[in-house]
Amino acid sequence: MTLALTRPVTGRLRLRTRPRPGLAVAAVFLALILTAVAWPSLFGGDPLAADPLNVLQAPSARHWFGTDQLGRDVFDRVVHGARHSLSIGVAATLIATSTGILLGLLAGLGHRYADEAFSRTFDALSAFPIVLLALLFIAVAGTGTTSLIVAIGVALTPHYARVVRAQTFVVRRAAYVTHAVAFGASRPRLVVRHVLPNVLGPIPVIAVIGLGEAVLIAAGLSFLGLGPQPPSPEWGAMLSEGRGYLHIAWWASVLPGLVVTATIISLTALGRHFQRRFEGRTA
Amino acid sequence: MRRTRLAAAVATLALLGACSTGSANDTADAGQPVSGGSLTWAVETEPITFNPHLYAQAKARLLVWNTFESLLTHDSQGGYVPWLATGYEVSPDGRTYTFKLRTDVTFSDGTKFDAAAVKANVDQLLVPNYAPAVAAVQLRNLDAVEVVDDATVAFKLKAPDVLILDFASSPQGAQVSPKSLKEAKNLKAGGPELAGTGPFVLDRYIQGQEVHFVKNPAYNWAPANAGHTGPAYLDEITYRFLKESSVRVGALTSNQVHVIEGVPATDEALITGNPALSLQRGLNSGSAYSYYLNVANAPFDDLKVRQAFRAAVDVDAVLTGVYRGTATRAWSVVGPTSPFYDKTLEGTFGGDPELANKLLDEAGWTTRDAEGYRTKAGKRLTVRLVQNAPFVRDRRDVLAQAVQAAVKQSAGIDLNVALVDQGTATKALADGEYEVFDNSRADTDAGAALNLLLHSAGAINRTGFTDAGLDGLLDDAQASTDTAARTEAYRQVQKLVNDQALVLPLYAPADQIAASTSVGGLGFEPTAGVPVSAYHLWLSK
Repeated sequence: MTLALTRPVTGRLRLRTRPRPGLAVAAVFLALILTAVAWPSLFGGDPLAADPLNVLQAPSARHWFGTDQLGRDVFDRVVHGARHSLSIGVAATLIATSTGILLGLLAGLGHRYADEAFSRTFDALSAFPIVLLALLFIAVAGTGTTSLIVAIGVALTPHYARVVRAQTFVVRRAAYVTHAVAFGASRPRLVVRHVLPNVLGPIPVIAVIGLGEAVLIAAGLSFLGLGPQPPSPEWGAMLSEGRGYLHIAWWASVLPGLVVTATIISLTALGRHFQRRFEGRTA
Repeated sequence: MRRTRLAAAVATLALLGACSTGSANDTADAGQPVSGGSLTWAVETEPITFNPHLYAQAKARLLVWNTFESLLTHDSQGGYVPWLATGYEVSPDGRTYTFKLRTDVTFSDGTKFDAAAVKANVDQLLVPNYAPAVAAVQLRNLDAVEVVDDATVAFKLKAPDVLILDFASSPQGAQVSPKSLKEAKNLKAGGPELAGTGPFVLDRYIQGQEVHFVKNPAYNWAPANAGHTGPAYLDEITYRFLKESSVRVGALTSNQVHVIEGVPATDEALITGNPALSLQRGLNSGSAYSYYLNVANAPFDDLKVRQAFRAAVDVDAVLTGVYRGTATRAWSVVGPTSPFYDKTLEGTFGGDPELANKLLDEAGWTTRDAEGYRTKAGKRLTVRLVQNAPFVRDRRDVLAQAVQAAVKQSAGIDLNVALVDQGTATKALADGEYEVFDNSRADTDAGAALNLLLHSAGAINRTGFTDAGLDGLLDDAQASTDTAARTEAYRQVQKLVNDQALVLPLYAPADQIAASTSVGGLGFEPTAGVPVSAYHLWLSK
């Protein structure tokens, strides 16, 4: 903060207007990934087609990312895996945001005791690493894609709930809310018309950044074998299957790993960009 | 300069690669045996127990003989060599086996080894719920064990049973100190509490990491075929549990361990290409690694579906993909090193998608769903394989995925593979929630494996197939001391299993040992074919 104050104002302005090639690359990459999610067969062939006589082939014109230990095309699997990995991330983020908004509003608008109860619970849950919470949930509910989605969703919920609660506190003290109360607006109308829309403002921004995290956790848990089961092409599972062949076939794990990395960096870069835009608008 | 050195290195590598394909025994490099030293060996499988009575994992066999010993051991011709016994006699009716025992043996806790100790061990095995598989199968014909005198013990049988000798040479028949049997708090898990007579003493076990043995200096009763006498060469040996094959290979190439076992075919070139390392392979005894098809559940209650499943897999192609041509294909449930192996079964099944599809059409699985799997009356042709994680070795999980892809592509069969922990696997098997069961047994006498796997009273009869004729053949073979008669009975058993398509044999399990050339004495146990215990090893200075 002090650093920003000592800087000349022009520097900040130039920073904001400078073109961002990195951002463009991130956007294009994400667009490609989203296309792969929607129409995987546009890019890739059958991700399950094994060819035992062509296992662990190096990347070539025929197999862009090489083949894995069963002779399956790694590129096809990465493309089809996008649907698995991203939809887990998106579904988990949707669960986390919707539950988070509900609980945050309840805490922010409810009775003082309710707020205390909710807030201390969120604090306690936030003390645990997200992966650990998700693991706990899976240990209870069992493995599988649905369980993985719910686990990550539950684990990320406190994060969103705290943001919504804090935002609710700001909004409920805003002049327009006080005015609406003075005009005699009913409580449900107050919440739906005035509080909710203003509370939701920052949610899409943090959700985009959070999506990257959700995808990463999903890949991590799948790496441990807690996500979609073989032969499903899932990025984390591909890393896990390929790691035994790292000596002789780096492409089977390194290339899917690079795609995971690029996806998460792109999501975060885009999220940060939105965040800056959003903060600029409200400031 | 740099370039010439590189070129020389490449040339050396190529030369070595060409020389070492014959898996020669390189222990000559380690010179003459020397005493002393501490060796580290990275193993793939962590034992689920250190109690030899409850031994179940072939990969744990090399640990058993460090601390424990049996009455007999095997020679390389399928015969027996005295160990803790000095010899045995069989009564003319085949129902009494009398063992003469060594009198100079003590357990590492100071207890003397005698006939009463042998009886105490057998009595322990017969305690209900202690070792049900041993009691119900290996000792099923045992009537009583009698102490004749201090150095003589007699096994009285209800019926003639030649496999009692196999029991007397098996890990389950190993001798644990009667004092430990009585006092050990955690008898079933084993560990430092359990004293044996072996050349080493287990003094430290850290779960998930390593097990450590120190030399038993008083040891002086090695069997005649052990290669040397007196105490072991090594002062101590540590076995580290490294489940990941790439980690094991990395630990060896970076000199963190002296020996590893379980070298995946894909990594063999890394070993053979390194002049400081040697590689050896040995085929295991017992039964082949096979998929047993559960006839108690649909769809494998239908012979045609079983035959179709077997025909749908091109085993050669699958093995080439997963094991790079280093695996030996199995054609029968009996392993190819066994004297009972029926060679005529070779080439009789598999790799015939046309036949598989024809059989499935005939069996009524004529329609296909959106994912390409066959269906009948709206139900998908799904079979489930439950793999028990502590028993998964040799990348059998990858092999399962390869078979999964093969049956899907060639016949539209949905093979559902689940890799689960032991508790989950045990439950699934007990509840009959499986259609495919995978197993290999490293029994030294393949007949012992068949009794467990195929007999209607077998503890791991997972096919659910029961047939009085099959039971009769197995019983006859067990009762006979005539090898030719046993071979004929087991030939008929294998034919019946093949005709009924109860089993899809995949490969003959093998062990691979890679080691630094400073390690001497490495090799494989006669008959069993698994790596030798630490008694044989030395470390050149």
